[in-house]
Amino acid sequence: MATAHLSNPSPSTIPSVFKIGRKRPHFKEAGLLGVILALGLFLAIFGGTLHIPGGENGSAQTVNKFLRMDNLNMLAKNASFFAIMAVGETFVIITGGIDLSVGAIYCLSAVCGAMFLSYFGPGGVGAGASMFWVMPAAVGLCLAVGTLCGLLNGLGVVWLRIHPFVITLGTMAIYRGIAFIMTKAQAYTNFPSQFTDGFIRHPFVWQGTTLYPVPLLVMLGITILAAWFLKHAVTGRFVFAIGGNEQAALFSGLPVNWVKLKVYAFSGLTAGIAAVIMLGYYGSASSDAGKGYELQVIAAAVVGGASLIGGRGTALGALLGALIIQMIDNGIVILNVDQNYSQVIIGSVIIIAVLLDRINSLIRDRRLARAAQLASDTASAKINFESNSSSSTK
Amino acid sequence: MKKQYLCLAVVSFSLLLWGCGKPAANSGEPSSKSTKPKYTFALVAKAQSNPVFESARVGAEDAAIALGKQLGVDIEVEWRTPNEEDAEKQVEYIDQLVLQGVNGISVSCTEAPTLTPAIDRAVKGGVPVMCFDSDAPLSQRFCYYGTDDNACGHTIMRELAAVLGPGHHVVAIPGGNQNSLNIQNRIKGALDEATNYPNIAICGVFYSKEVPQDAAAKMEEVQTANPDIDGWAMVGSWALFTDALLKWEPGKVKIVAMDALPAELPYLRKGVVQKLYAQQTYQWGWQSVDLLAQKVIEKKNPNAIIYSPLIPVTATNVDEFEQNWKQWLRK
Repeated sequence: MATAHLSNPSPSTIPSVFKIGRKRPHFKEAGLLGVILALGLFLAIFGGTLHIPGGENGSAQTVNKFLRMDNLNMLAKNASFFAIMAVGETFVIITGGIDLSVGAIYCLSAVCGAMFLSYFGPGGVGAGASMFWVMPAAVGLCLAVGTLCGLLNGLGVVWLRIHPFVITLGTMAIYRGIAFIMTKAQAYTNFPSQFTDGFIRHPFVWQGTTLYPVPLLVMLGITILAAWFLKHAVTGRFVFAIGGNEQAALFSGLPVNWVKLKVYAFSGLTAGIAAVIMLGYYGSASSDAGKGYELQVIAAAVVGGASLIGGRGTALGALLGALIIQMIDNGIVILNVDQNYSQVIIGSVIIIAVLLDRINSLIRDRRLARAAQLASDTASAKINFESNSSSSTK
Repeated sequence: MKKQYLCLAVVSFSLLLWGCGKPAANSGEPSSKSTKPKYTFALVAKAQSNPVFESARVGAEDAAIALGKQLGVDIEVEWRTPNEEDAEKQVEYIDQLVLQGVNGISVSCTEAPTLTPAIDRAVKGGVPVMCFDSDAPLSQRFCYYGTDDNACGHTIMRELAAVLGPGHHVVAIPGGNQNSLNIQNRIKGALDEATNYPNIAICGVFYSKEVPQDAAAKMEEVQTANPDIDGWAMVGSWALFTDALLKWEPGKVKIVAMDALPAELPYLRKGVVQKLYAQQTYQWGWQSVDLLAQKVIEKKNPNAIIYSPLIPVTATNVDEFEQNWKQWLRK
C-alpha cells in the first residue's frame, strides 16, 4: 500500500525545491535588462533637459535629453547594424566558433549592392529602369553575397578542418581586399531615392517628431525569428548541442558539419541584411565600410551572454548587448564627457556588464546545484523510506 | 613525393633566376628601350581608401608625362600606399623603396613621429624625401607641399562665423581620428579662431572613425542630442561622403566644410552646406613630381615649405568646379 502511496505523491510530499523552480521564471536576459534600465535611468537623470521650440501655442517645450523620441530612435538605428550582425555571430559563438569576417562581409555586400544601385541610380547608365525589380534585386544581391561569404567560411571550417579563428581571419582580409579591388577606393553613391528615402530611410512622423523606424523594425524582426529558431527549431537545439559538446553531438548522430555550415551562412546573411540597412540609410558605401565592426559585434554578443567556449547565448541577449554598447556611446555625447575618454569608458563598461552577467549566472548555477542536491537528497530519503517500508511489510 | 619536391625546386629556381634578371628601378641612366635617362619617383600616400589620394595619383602620373617631355627624360611614378591608414606600413614601404633604388620619395605622413626616422634613414641613404598633405617637420625632408592646416582651421571657423551672422550660436566640430596630426592642427586653428567671436560657443569636438558612415552617424547623434547646435565647422568632411545628412532642413544648421569631392557637391546644391573649401589634391601629386624633379634632375633647392591655397566652392560655382573632377579622376 505504501508503494502505491509513494508512486502518486500528494502535493504535500513534493519537495519544496520543485515548487520554487516552477514559480521562478527562467529569463536569462533579466540581468541585461537590469543593466539597460539602470543605464537608461542614469542617463535620464544626469543627461538633463532641453528646451525645444515648437510646443503648443508656439511655446518652448522642455524634454528629457535622453528620453526624447528622436534620440531613442537614433540610438536604435545606430544599434541596429551591430545587433543584426551580433545575432548571427551569437549562433556561431554558441557552436564554439567565431566569425571575425562579419565586418568584411558587411563591407563586401554593401559594396556590391552600392555598385548595383549606383548603376541604376540618377545619372547612372541604367537610370530609368523599373524599381519593381531593381530594389528586390539589390536587396537579393546583398543577401546572396553575405550568405555566400558565410558559406565559404563554413566550408573552410568543416572541410578544411581549420580553426574558425584562422579561417575567418583570412577571409576577413580576402573579402575586404575584393571590396577594395572592386571599388578602386571610390565611394559609390547616387542611389535611387525609392531605395533610400522611399524604403530604408522612410520617415514616419509621430507627435511632430520625424522618426526612421525601418532599421529598428528589421532588427526586431531578425531577433524574434532567430530567438524562435534557437528555442523551437530542431536545428536550433542542435546548435546548442554542438556547442555544449561537439564529440557527444557527433556520436549522437547529429549532422554537425551541416549545422555548422548553416550557422556560418546565417552569420553571413545577417551581415548582408545589415549592409542593406546601411546602404539605404546612408546612401553610400566604400571599401572602408564596417572597419573594426567585427570587434563591436563580438563584444555585443559576449555582453549579451554568449560564451566564447560555446553552448551558451541567445538572440535577445545579442540585441541587448548591442543596445548597451550603443547606450554608452550615446551617453558620452549626452553627458558631454570628453570624447578622448570614450574608448576607456566603453571598454570598462563592457567588462563590468559581462562580469555582472557572470555573477548572475554563478548565483543561478549555485541555486540550481543546491536545488539538485536537495532533490537528490529527497529522492534518496524516499528510496530509503520505501525500502524500509517494504522490509517492515515483509 | 621526390618528383614533387624536384618540381618545386625547379619552379623556385626559375623564379629566382627570373627575379634576378629584372632590371633595377634605380637609374638616372639610359634605359634599354629608350636613350633617355630614366628616373623613378615614389609616392607614399596615407590610404588607398581615401578618395582624395586618387586624384593625387592622377596628378603625379600626368606630371611625370609632361615634365618628362619638358626635361627630356623618362619619369616613372611608383605609387606605394597602404590600403588603410597605417604608419608602420608606410615606414616599411619607405625602407623598401630605398633598397629598390628609387630616385626620390614623396610621403603624406599618417603619424609624423613614426615616419621621421624612416625619412631620415632614406635621406642618409642618398634618397631625397619630401612630404605632401601631412608633414613631418622634424625630419630631414627637403620640402613640404600642402595645406596650411592651422590656417585652414582658422578659415573654416571664420567663414562659418560669417555665414552664421550676429546673435548667439552653438558650433560643433567633427574631429575624425585623434592621432591624425593635420586634423588636430585644423581643430586647433578652428578653436583659436572661435575665441575671436564671443557670440559663438563651442559645443565640443566629436571624434569618430574617418569612415563616412561612422562619421555621419556621429554627427547625427550629436545633433540629435544637442538640437541647439546651429553650426558645424567641418575640418574633415567624411560624413558628407554619404547622403544621410541631405535630409537635414537646408539652412537650419549652417555648415562650412573642407574638401569638395564629387560626393559632397549635392550638399551645396541642396543648400544643406553653405561653403566647401577644396584642397588642391591633384596638385599634391603634380607638385610632388615637379619638386622631386627640381631637386634630383635639375639639382635645384626648392623652398622648404610651400602652402597650397584652398579653393572656395559655393552653390554659384559648383557646376564649374565639378568639371575639374573629370580630369582629376580621369572620368
